[in-house]
Amino acid sequence: MGKGWCLFFLFWPVAAVVSCAMAPWVGWSFPYDNAQAASNLGIRIDELFYIILVVTAIVFVGTQAVLVYALWRGANNRDQRASNVHGNHKLELIWSIIPGAILLFLAIYQMNIWADFRIKKYYPEAAVKAPLAEVTARQFEWRFRYPAIGKKLQQKPQPDDLYSVNELHVPFGKPVLIQLRSDDVQHSFFLPALRIKQDALPGLQIPVWFEANKPGTYDLVCAELCGWGHYKMKAHVIVQPEDEYQTYLKNLTQKQFYDGLGTIAAKETGTESEAVEK
Amino acid sequence: MRFGFSRLILLLLFPLIGFTGCEQPPVKFVFSQKTNELMPEAAKPVKEALVRQFGNPFALTQFEGLPTDFGDIQGTVKSVNPSGKDQPLIRVQVTGLENAYDKLQGLPLEWTSGKGQGQVSRIKEYNFETGTIAVEKSPEIDPQAGDTFMVECVRLQFGRDLYNRHCMHCHGMSGEGTGPTSRYLNPPPRDFRLGIYKYTSTKPTNKAQVADLAHTAKEGIAGTYMPSFKLLTDDEVSAIVNYVIWLSIRGETEKKLVDELYLDYSETALAERTSEDGGETREEVLEELKEYMELDFPDTLEFATSSVSEAWEEANLEDAIVIPKTPRVADTPESRERGRKLYLGQKTKCASCHGPQGRGNGTATQDFWTNPATNEKYSQRGLHDIWGNLLPPRDLHRGIYRGGRRPIDTYRRLYSGIKGTPMPAFGGSLTDEELWDLVNYVMSLPYAGNR
Repeated sequence: MGKGWCLFFLFWPVAAVVSCAMAPWVGWSFPYDNAQAASNLGIRIDELFYIILVVTAIVFVGTQAVLVYALWRGANNRDQRASNVHGNHKLELIWSIIPGAILLFLAIYQMNIWADFRIKKYYPEAAVKAPLAEVTARQFEWRFRYPAIGKKLQQKPQPDDLYSVNELHVPFGKPVLIQLRSDDVQHSFFLPALRIKQDALPGLQIPVWFEANKPGTYDLVCAELCGWGHYKMKAHVIVQPEDEYQTYLKNLTQKQFYDGLGTIAAKETGTESEAVEK
Repeated sequence: MRFGFSRLILLLLFPLIGFTGCEQPPVKFVFSQKTNELMPEAAKPVKEALVRQFGNPFALTQFEGLPTDFGDIQGTVKSVNPSGKDQPLIRVQVTGLENAYDKLQGLPLEWTSGKGQGQVSRIKEYNFETGTIAVEKSPEIDPQAGDTFMVECVRLQFGRDLYNRHCMHCHGMSGEGTGPTSRYLNPPPRDFRLGIYKYTSTKPTNKAQVADLAHTAKEGIAGTYMPSFKLLTDDEVSAIVNYVIWLSIRGETEKKLVDELYLDYSETALAERTSEDGGETREEVLEELKEYMELDFPDTLEFATSSVSEAWEEANLEDAIVIPKTPRVADTPESRERGRKLYLGQKTKCASCHGPQGRGNGTATQDFWTNPATNEKYSQRGLHDIWGNLLPPRDLHRGIYRGGRRPIDTYRRLYSGIKGTPMPAFGGSLTDEELWDLVNYVMSLPYAGNR
């Protein structure tokens, strides 16, 4: 059976390397067909991922190779007895220092990215000055509150705030900051394409910043199991040029202060109920 | 590495269940509680009529005269697959359905030419890829190449599939509001079968517009568990609304039929009539019922269907929408003050439910009210809606507007009331300016600074 075990332990590193190598082609890799991250921060996070993948791959394949070699030798020399290496100071130093160094390297190497993403001091200044909107996660939808055009987002709701649900519009070309809240239980604000993920906690307001590197419609999903309707907690984040974003806000304002007679009704469709949808 | 025998059996069970699956009984639309309380002889024709007009969730049926988009699609038989004598199904290759919804199983198929003209078959199997339809063999039909047919209820089926995926787990298979997740929700999901919807743009006596229901589905209802389905396309939402209204029509038809019978032929009525006081025998009651079924029931059924359909059609007319005659009165402190006086005044009595400060704690919440349906007192203090649920008046300081936060939404809540709830309609008693003053006052409350 000795050689059988050799094969068994040989199989795993081979399977791991093969599955990693074929991952991008069979959809096991990053979301959206392994597309590049849609934010510059996301690209850096992906690089981190690959570094960790390479490091762990080398360590895993290496240790498995040593294991298989040792088993193979043992299987071929049934009579030879194993040598007792208990208390080998040199060996112990080696297997403590090498992993320690690797972990220390990873810990230090990722610090900049972590700080840029999570430490408020390093947030882009423009984003911190004028938060875009308040995002409230609730079972099972996302509700957004923007400040009125030309005004700043306040902690408490204001009479002229603008509201929308499951559709967050964001101007392109500058970092934006949202204030993340939860109405009920834990949720998680997850933009898979941008590699942004932040838990929403009841009672806390958490600032999250992101910047897409190209305009488009991105999925916003909940990444924290929040109840039976967790799966349907989906929204869109629409990153659009500044002028389109301003037009959107203007339309939203008009819609929200619609009194049943105003201008939107007459504009395109004639009937009011349809105008509401536009 | 040794497995016990029993563990081996367990291991074998998994693939076995995987291959065979769990057999499910056919799903049926449920009947209302009142229908089930009828004596069996009276309930049977009601149930049969409903199945005839509406079918079952997986065997939908078209019924003329409903304001529902059934979505008929015409097709032509290209060829008939040869089949053995003992096979129960005829398989035909068809054209014309390439652009239609790809799940047609269970739908009625009416032959419009050939031997079986006018006959209706049920589609037992449908393969969208190959364009093969299988229907049950019967002596009346004999499809040949070139025969034309119409598949009915395609649009309804599309709506049903979407409804079952997105809505059913709360609102229930028949729209009865008791889906599997409904027990966790407060407020409970709407029971569609009364055909009453709370947040509409229509006049007090009108039902909801299609656009109102689509709006609710797209925007959700803030403050409740009804989430927003904004990511569905307009077409999907309209198909769902189409199906929901159809479920409502089914429930309303049932209610109208049962209301006719309930007084005389419920189990309790029967017990009363055959008791010593009543003095009738069961045979006499049955005889009377039989007479009713023969003479009046067909008319009642027709009237029930047509009146419900008309009500839905009326709601979608242009003049059913509440449109203010004057634009919103400027939101000034003076206007709010006028609104506050109205709010506290005897003319509106807002404060009796919503409380003098608008906290939703008026004196009405401390009373025992009478259920108008049964004429009995509710067991709990406070206001109730017609679905029988306790309904606290809204705390106006919350800044959560279930029916939408536009001024026109609040205006319409005041003008038409909230249907199915004790919130009355002020459309007749207040002028437009007064209504707008009230809107301005109510909408200023969340920001009043006295929180």
